[in-house]
Amino acid sequence: MQEYSSQAAYDRGEAVCVIGAGASGLIAVKNLRENGFEVDCYERDTVLGGLWNPQNQHSPLYPNTHLVTSRSQTEIPDFPMPDDWPDYPSAAQMLEYLTAYAKHFGLSEHIWYGSEISHLEPVEGSRFEVVVKPAAGAAARRLRYGAVIIATGHHWSPNLPSYPGLDDFRGTVLHSSQLKDPSRLRGKHVLVIGGGNSGVDIACEAAVNAASCVHSVRRGSWHLPKYLGGEPADYALARLASRPKYLRRFLTDRILKGPKRLAERMGIEAPGPGPAGEEPVRNGRYLEHVGDGSIKRRGEVARFDGYEVAFADGTEIRPDLVVLATGYQPKIACVAPELLGGTRDEPAPRLFARMFSPKAQTLAVAGLVEPGVGVLPIVHWQTHAISRWLQVRKSDPERAESFKLQVNAESHHDAVEHVDPRRRLVVDAEEYLASLGRIIDTLEQEPAK
Amino acid sequence: MSLTAWSRRARTPEPVPVRREIAVFEPADLFDIEIKDNPETNPVLCCTGDPAGAAAFNALWLKRIATSGRYAAAVSVRGQGGTPAAAGGPEARAHDVVQAAVTVPRQTVLIGHREGAAWAALAAGRYPAAGLVLVSPLRVPKQLPKPVGEPPVLLVVSESETQSKEVQAVSDEYGITPLTFAGAPDDVFKGATAEGLLDTVLSWLDAQKP
Ligand SMILES: Cc1cc2nc3c(=O)[nH]c(=O)nc-3n(C[C@H](O)[C@H](O)[C@H](O)COP(=O)(O)OP(=O)(O)OC[C@H]3O[C@@H](n4cnc5c(N)ncnc54)[C@H](O)[C@@H]3O)c2cc1C
Ligand SMILES: NC(=O)c1ccc[n+]([C@@H]2O[C@H](COP(=O)([O-])OP(=O)(O)OC[C@H]3O[C@@H](n4cnc5c(N)ncnc54)[C@H](OP(=O)(O)O)[C@@H]3O)[C@@H](O)[C@H]2O)c1
Repeated sequence: MQEYSSQAAYDRGEAVCVIGAGASGLIAVKNLRENGFEVDCYERDTVLGGLWNPQNQHSPLYPNTHLVTSRSQTEIPDFPMPDDWPDYPSAAQMLEYLTAYAKHFGLSEHIWYGSEISHLEPVEGSRFEVVVKPAAGAAARRLRYGAVIIATGHHWSPNLPSYPGLDDFRGTVLHSSQLKDPSRLRGKHVLVIGGGNSGVDIACEAAVNAASCVHSVRRGSWHLPKYLGGEPADYALARLASRPKYLRRFLTDRILKGPKRLAERMGIEAPGPGPAGEEPVRNGRYLEHVGDGSIKRRGEVARFDGYEVAFADGTEIRPDLVVLATGYQPKIACVAPELLGGTRDEPAPRLFARMFSPKAQTLAVAGLVEPGVGVLPIVHWQTHAISRWLQVRKSDPERAESFKLQVNAESHHDAVEHVDPRRRLVVDAEEYLASLGRIIDTLEQEPAK
Repeated sequence: MSLTAWSRRARTPEPVPVRREIAVFEPADLFDIEIKDNPETNPVLCCTGDPAGAAAFNALWLKRIATSGRYAAAVSVRGQGGTPAAAGGPEARAHDVVQAAVTVPRQTVLIGHREGAAWAALAAGRYPAAGLVLVSPLRVPKQLPKPVGEPPVLLVVSESETQSKEVQAVSDEYGITPLTFAGAPDDVFKGATAEGLLDTVLSWLDAQKP
């Protein structure tokens, strides 16, 4: 401790630092506490719930956001949502749920609000020093922890495409995260760019509120309705996943045949044989709006020109409002990319099992995946594994060794290099959960006698 | 709860939801300014196999528990007391207990009596109870889940039950030795039996870390 000048750093001993009090951070705090750790959680905003809290300054919620994953597939495994809630709760209910979770487990007393972590770095072997960005006028605070879990989310930094003439466009341009007020659509000619869940949801809002809606999408994707065979679609598909492989393929094809044909009728090709491994669009109303003409689909935008927008196919329109639903750029700014397995040129994280730093044993990230299914259960098992690992690495060197071999093996197939940069966070939920299960078993199972 | 157990359950149809009757007694309801809700203590949620459900605890239990500074609640599972009947076996009743548990303001202790002990034990496999108290358990499934979050477990049985196979199986399952109370296992809601039993349970709860 003496060899590093740490005059100002306050030592929190073996306590763990969690960065972010969104869903992932809250689940991390609860699971760490349950495993006996002291925890300090830092949240840069003044509220909990992350992107589900409209009071969070940068919340990406747009009008009428509802879950696209169903209640039973979204709730945290050991804290179910009330069973009289609808199959697809609203964003407001999601916030109510996360608030109840925090209250139930007494998490708030471990959260420091208005505290952005601007930097963290390893010190003294496996420990970390974190820097809390100072409030105006104050000095930066430095603290030392036994371990750090980053749970800062990946929907904060809008991905903004550039088009020739965009800067001089005479209409209004907004990113999907800026469209807070549904009245902004009313009576307007609206162009929505981007075919992810945000773009499709907003196109549907525009279909009923705006004067007209054109939706620009540059490639096909899987379109799932919210219900399949009388059940929430994600639940119906997850149930099939537990069938034997040959049967699963057959049953999945059968259940998806209708939606696929409907999408094709609207001119949308599904990429690949099934929606796993790629986030599907989950919206039952969209194709009906395309079918009744209230949403007009177009291909890629080529350029903006005064009041006009020209598409690659040569057609032009004159929108009043353009919504860029072009997604987000995952960014973790508070840590050197090398610590998360990236490089200066290629800063995207390359983590072991999508959560463990390949460079530091006591640094992990929670929630940095796009599983195409409910995110919270996945984060629950991630943070469960991380908490167990932090125990085992101290108490059980032998098990720690088998764990290291294992996460290495589990990470083998995620060779990120060849992946389209925009799909880097995508995991096949079924495979990833199986992998998490194996990791947890290694950390917990009684050793064979 | 293991990942496998969760994933199996998330792929099984959820029990039909019912409007559950929940009785609550808070320290503030006691009209005794000396007794305050102590936020350091965990609330308590009770259930019983007795068809009266939550009402069975109204006579004495809830008030006694609240007197100890704890938020006290009891739930009628499907088909008991004021909760309508609906399909489902012990798993569905455990679901009712978990659903009631998450409405309690803080992480709660689960107390189950008779069949209620079986439901509470199943519920503790899904929800990280702050403690699990099994009173004269009856018809407990052979395979009990490992409680989530490793809560302390108490088994209390009447003196006449100590030798029963069921009690032995449960105490082996959790690796604990039962405490005993004087009285009949089905008649624990009133009188001296209730007083003695509650003394045992509450002093055990107070001895656990908050
Ligand atoms: C519009 C939209 C709809 C979605 N719908 C669904 C859905 O239906 N189902 C589903 O499962 N998932 C959905 N998701 C995915 C969503 O990401 C997860 O549900 C979940 O909210 C992720 O939580 P998180 O805690 O990882 O991130 P966030 O909610 O983003 O929380 C991160 C927190 O970290 C804080 N923070 C960031 N940087 C710092 C720093 N340096 N220091 C301190 N604090 C910091 C932020 O202020 C924020 O509070 C949706 C996402 C979006 C954008
Ligand atoms: N209701 C909900 O629960 C809900 C709602 C919205 C979002 N979400 C979740 O939040 C996350 C973000 O969703 P999102 O829809 O905002 O983002 P997204 O899924 O990343 O989709 C972005 C869309 O914009 C397109 N795009 C990106 N760059 C473009 C460019 N330069 N030119 C033209 N098109 C471009 C993409 O096309 P390419 O695919 O070709 O790159 C894609 O169709 C996802 O995980 C999503 O599931 C959930």
